[in-house]
Amino acid sequence: MRHFCFRIPTTTIHLLRLLADTKSLFQKPTDDLLDMATTGPSNLNAKLVLLGDMGAGKSSLVLRFVKGQFLEFQESTIGAAFFSQTLAVNDATVKFEIWDTAGQERYHSLAPMYYRGAAAAIIVYDITNMDSFTRAKKWVQELQKQGNPNMVTALAGNKADLEEKRNVTTEEARVYAEENSLFFMETSAKAATNVNDIFHEIAKRLPRGQQPTQNPSGMVLVDRPTQGPRASATCCS
Amino acid sequence: MVSSTTPIINQSSIGPLIMYPFQRKTDLPFEIQPDFTFLRQSIHARRANIVVNFQDLYGFMVQGNVDDVNVLNEVREKVREQGRVWWGMEANRGANWYLRTYASSGDLKSSLRFSVLVNGMTLKKLIRKGIPPSLRPKVWFSLSGAAKKKSTVPDSYYDDLTAAVSDKITPATKQIDHDLPRTFPGHPWLDTPEGHAAVRRVLVGYSFRDSDVGYCQGLNYVAAMLLLVMKTEEEAFWMLAVLLENVLVNDCYTDNLSGCHVEQRVFKDLLTKKCPRLSAHLETLGFDVSLVATEWFLCLFSKSLPSETTMRVWDVLFYEGAKVLFNVALAIFKMKEEELLMTLYVGDVIKIIQDTTHNIFDPDDLLTVALDTISFMTTNLSKQRKKQETVVMEELDQRLRRLNTRKLSVKS
Ligand SMILES: Nc1nc2c(ncn2[C@@H]2O[C@H](COP(=O)(O)OP(=O)(O)O)[C@@H](O)[C@H]2O)c(=O)[nH]1
Ligand SMILES: [Mg+2]
Repeated sequence: MRHFCFRIPTTTIHLLRLLADTKSLFQKPTDDLLDMATTGPSNLNAKLVLLGDMGAGKSSLVLRFVKGQFLEFQESTIGAAFFSQTLAVNDATVKFEIWDTAGQERYHSLAPMYYRGAAAAIIVYDITNMDSFTRAKKWVQELQKQGNPNMVTALAGNKADLEEKRNVTTEEARVYAEENSLFFMETSAKAATNVNDIFHEIAKRLPRGQQPTQNPSGMVLVDRPTQGPRASATCCS
Repeated sequence: MVSSTTPIINQSSIGPLIMYPFQRKTDLPFEIQPDFTFLRQSIHARRANIVVNFQDLYGFMVQGNVDDVNVLNEVREKVREQGRVWWGMEANRGANWYLRTYASSGDLKSSLRFSVLVNGMTLKKLIRKGIPPSLRPKVWFSLSGAAKKKSTVPDSYYDDLTAAVSDKITPATKQIDHDLPRTFPGHPWLDTPEGHAAVRRVLVGYSFRDSDVGYCQGLNYVAAMLLLVMKTEEEAFWMLAVLLENVLVNDCYTDNLSGCHVEQRVFKDLLTKKCPRLSAHLETLGFDVSLVATEWFLCLFSKSLPSETTMRVWDVLFYEGAKVLFNVALAIFKMKEEELLMTLYVGDVIKIIQDTTHNIFDPDDLLTVALDTISFMTTNLSKQRKKQETVVMEELDQRLRRLNTRKLSVKS
C-alpha cells in the first residue's frame, strides 16, 4: 500500500495532542487510548521507568499492573520493554508509558535513554536480597544526579510474600526512603499486594502544572474537522 | 495483544510438528514436518477473524490470524522451492560449490577464476533469497568462518572446555542460570531440561573462552537460536564464537556495551539520512529510535521477528556481515514510514513497530525493502563507526565520572 501523507508539522503536534485528548471532539489514533483517556480535559501522559537489580521483580510488577498476571518465568528483558496503562485518579486520567529496563549491570549504560524525560520512576529491590537493596540505592543516587529533578520516585521492596526469607527490614528501607524523599511501599507481584497502589500513588503525586486544566484552544477545535488527527491524512488506514 | 476471551483454536489438533530428541554431540535431529491439517477447521475462523495459535518452522508458538497462517504456508512452499534450487546447484557445480568462491585467485587459472566470480555472485543472490533450513547448518558453518576457527584448535576443544568448567560458579554462570528458564519460555525443546542444559553449556563455555564478554543478557536468545539451527552444541558454540569475534563489531556485549552504543549512533545517523522526515518527526515526539533498536541489535532480531524471518536475516549476516542489521532496522521503519508520520505519542510509535515486526511472516516482505530499496556504502559504515566510537567512549567516560563524583561527595 502506498500512502500519500504529509508529516505533521512540528508545531502542530502539541495542538493535535490536545485535540486528541478531548474525547468529545476528537478520536485518538489508536483504539485503546480512546476508551481509556477520557472525559475530563486533564489527561496526563507520563513516562515511567522501572529500575533495579536483575531478578528484583520489575517485569513481574509491570505484568501484574498491566495484565493482572503473574508468571514464574517470563522472557528476560533486553534493553527495555514497553507497556502502557491508563489510570483514573480523581477527576483526571494518567496514561503511563512504562519502560521496564533490563537489570544486568552492563545494561546500566543504556539506562539514561529510558529515564530521560521520565516523570516517574520505581526503583525495585527484592526484600530477600540485600545486594539488590544496595543496588537500589545506587539507582537513587543516579536519578538524583542525572534524572529530571521533579521526578516522582518510588522505592518498592518487592517479594513481600517471602517474609520468611526477608533480608532487608521494612524499617531500614523506610528510613532510607524518608531521608531521600522517596515514597516507599513493600509490594508483591506474586500476591498482588500494593502493586496497583504504588502506581496509583505515583499518579496522584505527578505534578499537574504542565498540563492545562482547561483547554485553552477550544476555539480552534471547533473549526477543525471532527475526525481528529487522521483527518489531516485521509489516505491513511 | 490478544484478550483472553478470544477463542483460540486448539493446538492439540495440529499434532507434533517438530521433535527434539536430545543428543549431546551428535545431531539434535528435530524434524520439521509442516502439517496444516488444522487449517481446515479455520475456514470459519477467517470470517470471524479469529486469532489462531500455531507453531512455526522452528517450533515457536505464534499468534496470528488465518491470513498469517496462509502466508506461513506460502513461505514453506518458497522454502521448498529454494531447496530445489540449492540442490540443483549442487548437482550442477558439485557439492560444496559455494566454498570455491573463497579460493585465493593466486593458485587458479583464469578460467577458474571466472567461475569463482560467477559462483560468488550467484551465491550472494541465492543467500539473499534464503538458505533452505536443511542446508543452513552446513552453509553457515563454512561460510561464516566458524569451520576455519574450529580447525585451528584441537578437535576436543569444545568437550575439554565444557568439561573443565561444568561445575565452576562465576557471576556469569549465575546470570546464565537465572536466564535459562526465561529464554523463549514455552518452546517445545528449548524450554526443557535438555534444552536448558544445552544452552547452558554453550553459554558457560563461551563465558570462559572470552572473559571480557563473559555472559551478556541477549546472548541467551542468540545461542538458543543457533542451537535450533545448527542442531549440535559444538557447532552452535563455534557460530557464537565467530559471530562475536568476527562478524559483529567489537564490544557489542562487553562491559558497558560500547559497541552497541556505537551501532545505535550509526543507525540514528543512517535513519536521518534515509528517512529524514520520519527521523525529524520521531525526534519531535521525543522518541529515540534506540528505544526499540537496541534489542534488535543485541538479540539480532530474534526476539522481534518470526523465526524464519530472523534466520533469513542471519543468512545474510553470516555471509555479508553486520551491515545487514542496519538494512533490516532501516527497512522496518521504512515499511511503516507513512503510518509512523501520523503518530502523536511514543506509545503509538512503539505499537506500530511491534505489531509490524511480530507479523512479518514472509521474510521477503522485509528483505526486499532491506536489501533492494535501501542501499548504502559499506565503506561509509566503517568510517561512521570510527567517528562514533570516539564520541561514545567520551560519553561513557563522562557518565562514569559524574556518577563517581557523586559517590565520593556522598561519603565525605
Ligand atoms: N515470590 C515472589 N517472586 C517474585 C515476585 N516478583 C517476581 N518474582 C520472581 O522473581 C523472578 C524475577 O522476576 P522478574 O520480574 O523477571 O525480575 P526483573 O529481572 O526485575 O524483571 C521471577 O522468577 C519471578 O517469578 C514476588 O512478588 N514474589
Ligand atoms: Mg525484567
